[in-house]
Amino acid sequence: MIRNKNMKRASLVSAVIATGAMVLSTLPAQAATPGVTASEIKLGISSPLTGSAGLSYGKVPGAMKAYFNYINANGGVYGRKITLISRDDKYLPTLAATQTTNLVLKDNVFALVGALGTATHSKAYKAAALAKNNVPDLFINTGYSGFTDKTKYPTTFMVLPTYAMEAKVIAKAIKDNFPGQATFLVAQDDEFGSDGVAGFTTAGHKFSAAPILYPQGSMTAARAESALTALGATPGKPVVVLFGTTDVTATILKAAEKLALTTKFTWYAGSVGADANTLLALGVKPATIDGVISASFMPDAKDMTDPYVKQFADINAKYNKGVTFDNYVLAAMNSAMLTVQALRAAGKNLTRAGVISAIENKGAKFASAGLVPLGYSPTSRIGYNGYWVSQLNAKGEGKPYGGKLVIYSTDSGAGAVEVSNFVRPTMPKNGIPTNS
Amino acid sequence: MKNLKLTKGLVALSTAALIAAFTVAVPTVARAADDCQETTILYGIKVVDIEKCTGTDANKSKYEIIMPAKFNGTLMVYSHGIRYNVNLPAIPVVAPKGSLIDYSPAVSPSEEVTAALLAQGFAVAGAGVQTQGWNLEEGVEAALQVITIARDKYSKISKVVTWGNSLGGLTSQALAEQYSGAVDAAAPMCIADSAQAEITMAGDFLWGMKQFFNPAIKGSNYSAGQAGYVEMLTDLGTVLTTLQALQAAIAANPTAPAWPATSTVPAALKAIPVRSAILLLGLISGIPTQSNTYDASSGPVGPLETSFGLVISPALAVLENGAQAAILAVIANYDMEVRYGGVVFDNSKTDYAKRLGDDADVYAAGLTGKSGIAGMLGYLSPLNPAAPRVTANAAAVAKMNSVYQLQGKIEVPTIAISATADHITPAGALQYLKNQYEASVENKAAKSGKLLTIWNKPADEYTTFSAAGSPVTPTSATNGTGHCNYTTSQILAVAKLAAAAAKSGKLPSNTAVKAAIKNEPNLFVDPNFAPALLKFRQ
Repeated sequence: MIRNKNMKRASLVSAVIATGAMVLSTLPAQAATPGVTASEIKLGISSPLTGSAGLSYGKVPGAMKAYFNYINANGGVYGRKITLISRDDKYLPTLAATQTTNLVLKDNVFALVGALGTATHSKAYKAAALAKNNVPDLFINTGYSGFTDKTKYPTTFMVLPTYAMEAKVIAKAIKDNFPGQATFLVAQDDEFGSDGVAGFTTAGHKFSAAPILYPQGSMTAARAESALTALGATPGKPVVVLFGTTDVTATILKAAEKLALTTKFTWYAGSVGADANTLLALGVKPATIDGVISASFMPDAKDMTDPYVKQFADINAKYNKGVTFDNYVLAAMNSAMLTVQALRAAGKNLTRAGVISAIENKGAKFASAGLVPLGYSPTSRIGYNGYWVSQLNAKGEGKPYGGKLVIYSTDSGAGAVEVSNFVRPTMPKNGIPTNS
Repeated sequence: MKNLKLTKGLVALSTAALIAAFTVAVPTVARAADDCQETTILYGIKVVDIEKCTGTDANKSKYEIIMPAKFNGTLMVYSHGIRYNVNLPAIPVVAPKGSLIDYSPAVSPSEEVTAALLAQGFAVAGAGVQTQGWNLEEGVEAALQVITIARDKYSKISKVVTWGNSLGGLTSQALAEQYSGAVDAAAPMCIADSAQAEITMAGDFLWGMKQFFNPAIKGSNYSAGQAGYVEMLTDLGTVLTTLQALQAAIAANPTAPAWPATSTVPAALKAIPVRSAILLLGLISGIPTQSNTYDASSGPVGPLETSFGLVISPALAVLENGAQAAILAVIANYDMEVRYGGVVFDNSKTDYAKRLGDDADVYAAGLTGKSGIAGMLGYLSPLNPAAPRVTANAAAVAKMNSVYQLQGKIEVPTIAISATADHITPAGALQYLKNQYEASVENKAAKSGKLLTIWNKPADEYTTFSAAGSPVTPTSATNGTGHCNYTTSQILAVAKLAAAAAKSGKLPSNTAVKAAIKNEPNLFVDPNFAPALLKFRQ
């Protein structure tokens, strides 16, 4: 916080925060931008570091910090170093609301980055009054299409494509590659799954039976085995779409192993539920993941021929020592790079409104590792707006399905799924953005 | 799992027993002349010389005024919260030893607060309103009379602060809005919303309990006279035994608890864990999902570490909170029906899906997914004849609403405090006042800078577990949860800020606010924090 003789109120607020009490001015708003000084930009992230989701997503804050530290070591953003404050929300809505409020009121962050989860973040957004406080809510990790509502979430920018988009791309892939086969959907019974169901419906895809829906956290081995046993009676090689988190994908694949049904089905795991490293860590056999189809908007973290992947892997090796480079680390560093570009694009006189405006007007051209276009505009808060279809091998590598990379682009509504000729922006030299 | 302190004896409670156990005692109202005595009180080791005056006002309400020998010029006039307007036999949880209507005057939230204020030179006063129950009008009148009597008696009073808890908070605010010249500052604490807003919250929960868990609950439309009184007592017993059954079911199987035997919902609905139904009732009525024991975040070490906080803890919090809300609903509903001449709760047109709103997404897992939500809301639909809605008596509602409704026309500095997990008067009640005030400012009906809202939140995580993994009910109430559950130091902080505001005619500076709450980690001030309004207001 910038202090001078004319900013008594601001200094008082600062002093209060220093004591740990969450006090903001009840009088006219302070002149300084919260979380910004001449030498620092303070950012915050609420995400699961522990609990069941911590296994997969716990690396995200560390990876973002690593990239920010790399940028800091190379001059920061217009001379300001980025500090990322991470708080553990365990992927629980109430705790996410608490931690996000703490980030805004106690930690006095300038902006939030990389918040994770739909239920968690929708509650947190309201509880922490992010809209009223005009706190930039950058590159959230959820594909729930509800977050595209600029009226409801005026400071939010998604990074993931919406789940509806993903469902439409999967529907096209099934139609193109598995005509005539029975298809089934196993999906989380909340806005995540319903967004997906809506996408399949919009795409005109009809599954062979009503979707198998399960509340988050309720998929047990017994339930998975029961469902697969029933589906196993289907003739041919049915396509089973798993539209849930990676731990559920693992539960179902292990059930298939137990029932000797791994090769009975063509497995199509949604992007949220197909992290190979996590699947292997949760005990799924390499032979089982070999052939699992998925969708992604990022390059595979094991593809060191990709310049972004290589650069991020190098940064990870130096600034995030001891942490295995994987898709979560890649995605986190990519969001961190987007954040740096957003801060730069807002200019030297950094304000919250400036960052929001900068992403709206310049964000679509930000450099990123994503293989599909970014959709930011004054009217759109959607990040990536497409997918490519991948297939895992036994090593956990994601390769283009059919041997050729095809980028699909679409929207969350009735728009067609189209092959895109998008050419990704060249990576900034040494992974250090210089945009303005 | 001990989340409710219900005793087994309750199960045997019957209407006959209730009647036999209880003889109606007609309360006496003393008409004693004003009586002043010089005495002392102790505050810590400090001896404080005081003069205590008691008497009855023109409406026969008892009052008490305590004037310290070293008076600082400010009188704090306190309005107490709602008290039962019926005598009760011994009923577990509700009135373990039985209770008579309490007409005693209250001069502050607690004796400790009273002593502290007197030691600091404040005079304190308050009434025990002659009409109990929802007594907003009588409460305002009683407070005004106390002010008048005190000013007549002590000309050295230069400033007056009106303050109060719960309904007393509403009373103090209503007094300040209607008679701003009578006071110099106001401090409504855990302010209640209007009668209709409050009874809607409690009534929705109670109605939902009846539909889901036990159709024997009457809930509303109590008969006239003694028969209605018996029905109300019977309802208390039924509600408590139902809550007890729910508690037992969750204790037996927290993940997939069974529905109580008294439930008549279809078997398909009973496939949903009953904890989801409890949670749904809390969410549609506005009962907080954090309670004294449950923080909706923590979990025991082991396989339930995450899922406990996600799906079990919020439901248990609603149950813990809802127990008191349902009990109050029975007694308050009965009181209001008697007072206003008919049924005042109305859900004939309530859209519970709309009431659920975004919480359908936030709590999808706890509600057993969208399918579970659809099933439960479908059962509560007005189209389901098995779950009949309640239609209020229009004249009774009109009478209920004929009393003063807050306008937000705040003319004296007002320091308000509310807790984010207060389950009787949720923080949304204060937010409503804030909204009204901001609208008044915008409409030039009030000046800006007259309202400071202080929020009281619980610690980030506070549920503790035994070695066996069972949640442990804290021995002292968790700050930030419960009804008007402020610490003495928090109350004194509010009182001092209000007194300072009364002197200066302005809200305290940031410095003063900082100093007042610097040792209160559960208090915060954020002009943009906006808790959800009560469901009636949404």
